[in-house]
Amino acid sequence: MSQTITIDPVTRLEGHGKITIQLNGQGEVEDAHFHVTQVRGFERFSEGRPFYEMPSLMARICGICPVSHLLASAKACEAIMSVQIPYTASQLRQMLNLAQMVQSHALSFFYLSSPDLLLGMESDPKLRNILGVAAAKPELGRAGVALRRFGQTIIELLGSKRVHPGWVIPGGVTEPLSSSTRDEILALIPEAYANLDLAFDAYKKIGDSFKQEIEVFANFPSNYLSLINEDESIEFTDGALRLIDAHGQIIEDGITASRYAEIIGEAVEPYSYTKFAYYKPLGYPEGSYRVGPLARLNIVKSMGTPRADKELLEFKQLAQGPVESSFHYHHARLVEMIYGVEKIERILADPKILDKHVRATAGVNRLEGSGQAEAPRGTLHHHYKVDEDGKITWANLVIATGQNNKAMNLGILQAARHYVKDGKFTEGTLNRIEAVIRTFDPCLSCSTHALGQMPLELTLLSPAGELLDRLTR
Amino acid sequence: METTPLRCLILACGNPLRGDDGVGPHLAAWAEERFVGTPGLRIISRQQWTPELAADLAQAEAAIFIDCSVAMPPGTTILAQVAPARKTDAPATHQLDATELLELTNELYASLPRSALLLTIGAGSVELHEGFSEAVAAALPAAQTLLEETVLRLLGKTQPV
Repeated sequence: MSQTITIDPVTRLEGHGKITIQLNGQGEVEDAHFHVTQVRGFERFSEGRPFYEMPSLMARICGICPVSHLLASAKACEAIMSVQIPYTASQLRQMLNLAQMVQSHALSFFYLSSPDLLLGMESDPKLRNILGVAAAKPELGRAGVALRRFGQTIIELLGSKRVHPGWVIPGGVTEPLSSSTRDEILALIPEAYANLDLAFDAYKKIGDSFKQEIEVFANFPSNYLSLINEDESIEFTDGALRLIDAHGQIIEDGITASRYAEIIGEAVEPYSYTKFAYYKPLGYPEGSYRVGPLARLNIVKSMGTPRADKELLEFKQLAQGPVESSFHYHHARLVEMIYGVEKIERILADPKILDKHVRATAGVNRLEGSGQAEAPRGTLHHHYKVDEDGKITWANLVIATGQNNKAMNLGILQAARHYVKDGKFTEGTLNRIEAVIRTFDPCLSCSTHALGQMPLELTLLSPAGELLDRLTR
Repeated sequence: METTPLRCLILACGNPLRGDDGVGPHLAAWAEERFVGTPGLRIISRQQWTPELAADLAQAEAAIFIDCSVAMPPGTTILAQVAPARKTDAPATHQLDATELLELTNELYASLPRSALLLTIGAGSVELHEGFSEAVAAALPAAQTLLEETVLRLLGKTQPV
């Protein structure tokens, strides 16, 4: 008789989700789904708001990556305004974005995933959490806390608040950087490097302990999408999109924000409130792709900073061609963190960073605008339409987590088929299946669905787990 | 870099958009004004207590946590000692309580405030709105007095600063 295994809630994630695994009568895994059970509705309730409110409104989507939404939204507004922001404002925004990336990656690596990586997938669930890591590996716990504080402090120094900062507005930023704030940020850099050295050292020692997980944690060929600079170095704030295939060949390149809708579509599945993004020419689901640290490092040829470039070389040796196993998202996050610290230091060394010209002003000059940025989890798009008064008439957000959605679902199916045999599973098995999702570091609070009717599937199971009825809307 | 010893750390928690849940940030803001410029005192107000606050706690000689509770009658004000403890098997990374934060501080830094107190105000309503219920509004003056006396005591002051 068939049986459904449910993991609800999925733990150590940002947001709320559940996993269901469907077994057939022989106890073999037939299917698995990752369900995002939150509904946010930002795309709908922003209609009617003045466009210049959008950055601060959209930042409230998330408490972990509000800066990404601030930036993508501001850029969409600037497209409506038809302005190019001053160079200094662009650099300051980059710094803010990188600070967010560092603190977000630190959260993912140290708080959410290190319990599995440092204590073991099968370790006592009562200890397999941040308190357990603190007890067993306090030095690494302190490094994680310090790296979170590093990023949050910079965000607060620039944007006045560490969560939902202001400062980024359509046209640029509200205030230039003072020399004292610059020096305050620079003083944080040495400790950040030291903590990253600890993290790299610890991670490289444990890599061999997870050979099986590396094999089955969403390890399959896929396409990859990210922003990139013209010199093929990594880019988080500006640049244009590049899509590569499973062999590393370029499928699309130089896609600016205004053209994202040419190549990216979104599908809906009845079991989740998160959309499923796909590359339009290939359709859904064949056109599915991955975004985020793994995708970025697969796409770029360099990081552009010395320590990160050295680590990128080592990362690329994990495979011939694109690195496919999602387990390696953890490694990619560490590489990006070192890049973030190096790049912040480099930005602050530029004398122009103290320039007072940080804002362009304009009204409505176009009735439509798009903006894109790399959030910690992957590429983020904001697309707005306005009326002549600048009121939002339509908004669409393509969130990183939605772009990884198909891969996450395929990943848990792959892991479930490997670890669940004859209908039997252990707590460690279920933790491993959750850990597949954690490699992607999804931000479920960001992944909204608001267009049209909300999908809903009601599945009726007998006490013995038999499917009795299903209702789909 | 702060060189004055951290004699007293106030850690408030709550969401001002959720009615009485905002009482912690309200009392923290009141303390900011009341004790402006006082050396050795740091006041941090957050929507949630997160692991990063362990680094601040590790430096503090004494700590006062401020929060509301829906499990207490509205407007009730209690000040009690709080000790490190692990209450659940799955501490929420984004939202530790005072005991878990102290436990984390101890594990990470092998250091704890010599005195840790939790000031809890019973919440009437934590629905989405701004402003306090009648009971909590009525309790605020006494809560402020209690907070003031406690801070002065922890700072070793017999006269108002």
